[in-house]
Amino acid sequence: MEYQHDVEINGEDKYLNICKHNGLCKKEKDSKDDTDSNKLSHIEKAYTTILGELGEDVDREGLLRTPLRAAKAMQFFTKGYKETTQDILNDAIFDENHDEMVIVKDIDLFSLCEHHLVPFFGKVTIWAYLPNKKVVGLSKLARIVEIYSRRLQVQERLTKQIASAISEALEPAGVAVVIEAAHMCMVMRGVQKINASTVTSVMLGTFQDNPTTRKEFLDLTIRK
Amino acid sequence: MEHSKQTQFGSSDKKDAGTSSVVNGHCDGMVKRPAGGPSQPPAAESGSQRPVMESWREDRTRSVEDNEMSLPSLAAAYTTILRGLGEDPQRQGLLKTPWRAATAMQFFTKGYQEKIIDVLNDAIFDEDHDEMVIVKDIDMFSMCEHHLVPIFGRVHIGYLPNKRVLGLSKLARIVEIYSRRLQVQERLTKQIAVAITEALQPTGVGVVIEATHMCMVMRGVQKMNSKTVTSTMLGVFREDPKTRDEFLTLIRS
Repeated sequence: MEYQHDVEINGEDKYLNICKHNGLCKKEKDSKDDTDSNKLSHIEKAYTTILGELGEDVDREGLLRTPLRAAKAMQFFTKGYKETTQDILNDAIFDENHDEMVIVKDIDLFSLCEHHLVPFFGKVTIWAYLPNKKVVGLSKLARIVEIYSRRLQVQERLTKQIASAISEALEPAGVAVVIEAAHMCMVMRGVQKINASTVTSVMLGTFQDNPTTRKEFLDLTIRK
Repeated sequence: MEHSKQTQFGSSDKKDAGTSSVVNGHCDGMVKRPAGGPSQPPAAESGSQRPVMESWREDRTRSVEDNEMSLPSLAAAYTTILRGLGEDPQRQGLLKTPWRAATAMQFFTKGYQEKIIDVLNDAIFDEDHDEMVIVKDIDMFSMCEHHLVPIFGRVHIGYLPNKRVLGLSKLARIVEIYSRRLQVQERLTKQIAVAITEALQPTGVGVVIEATHMCMVMRGVQKMNSKTVTSTMLGVFREDPKTRDEFLTLIRS
C-alpha cells in the first residue's frame, strides 16, 4: 500500500491538488475500492492489539466486536479523504440576479486531531460575498465543511481549506470562515481545561482588504 | 508476549458458573452488606444468583511499568491505523502521532492502574451526620467500549451517611477511577454506587450520570443534542421515594 504524499504544504491553497496534501487522488480512490476490506481488517487487528495492550480482556462480551466497530468508526471519521469538492458542487451553482452576502452560521463540525487522534468539535460560520450573480445551494457549504473536517486535521488548516475550497469553487469577491471548537485532547487529557475553546478564522478577498467588511463580520460572528 | 495483566483473564474465569466475572473489576454481583446493616440487599438483581464482587478489593490490571512496555506496540498499532486510513505517517504533522495517540489512550484508560482502596483508605471519617450529602456536577470523561470514542458528561452523587462520611474529593476520585476505562454508562453508574456503598456502608446512595456519547453524535445516528441519563439508587434512595425525590430535586437546582 504505497501512497504518494508530498511533504506537508504549510498554508498553500492547493485544494485542487489536495490529494498530495491530506487527501486522496481520484485515481487512487478508484483503484483502491478492492483493497478497502483489506485495510479494514488491518485496522481491526491494530485495534485488537491496542485493547490487549491497554490491559483489557479482548474476549469479554462487551469488547468482542469492538475492533471492527472502532475500525469502521475511524473510517467514518476520515471519510473526507475520499471526497472532493468537485463531486458535490458540480450541479449546485446557479445564476441569479443576486449579489449580496450569503451567511451560513453554526454548522456543526466534528473532526479528529491529527496529533492525538482524539475528536475536536464545534461550529463553523461561513460568510461569502457573491457579486457575480451566482448563488450556491446552501447545503453545499455545509458539505464542504464535512469533506475537510472528516479527516485528521489541525484547526488552522481546516479553516483555510474550507475558505480556499469555497473561494476556488464560487469565485466570490470575499469569503470568511470562522471555526470555534473544543479540543478533547485539551479537555480530557494534558492541561484538562474543560471550558477552553479555540477560535480560528480565515478571511479572503474583501474580508481581508476592506476593514469595514471585516469589522462587520467579526462583530457579528465572534461570540463573547 | 507475556504480560502479567493477561493472566488475570484465564478462560476459566468466564466459564465458571456461579462465580462473579472478575473482568477488570466490573461488578456483576450484588453489593455486600455487613452483618449489622439493613437486612435487605440494596442492589437485588431480581433473582441473580451471582455472588458478591468487592469492587474495592479488585486487583489492578495494569501498572506503570506495563504502560512503558506497551508503548512501542501501541504506537505500531496506531501507525498501522494511520496507513489503513490512507494517511501518510511520515508527513510532518503525523510523525509522532502514534506515540502521542498511544500515550493519550493510556491516559484515557488509567483507571485500570488504580484501586479504590488506595484512594479511599485514609479519608473515611466518623461523623455524627445523618443528612444527605451531595456532590454534583462532577465532570466525567470516559471511553465508549464499543467504538473507542469519548463519552463526557456530569456525575451527581448523593449518599445518606451511617455515622461515616467520606472526604468529598474522594467521591470525585472514585468517579475518575471508574470513568477512565472502556465503559458502558450503565455499568459506570453502578460501579460508582457500589464502591461508595462498600466503602462507607451508608444508609443509601444515589448516582446520576448525564452524558453525551460521541459515538452517537459524530457518527451513526448523528444526533447532536442527545444526552443519556442513567441512575443507580441503593438502600434508602431506592426504597424511600421521598429521599429519592429530595436527591433528584437538589441535583437539578
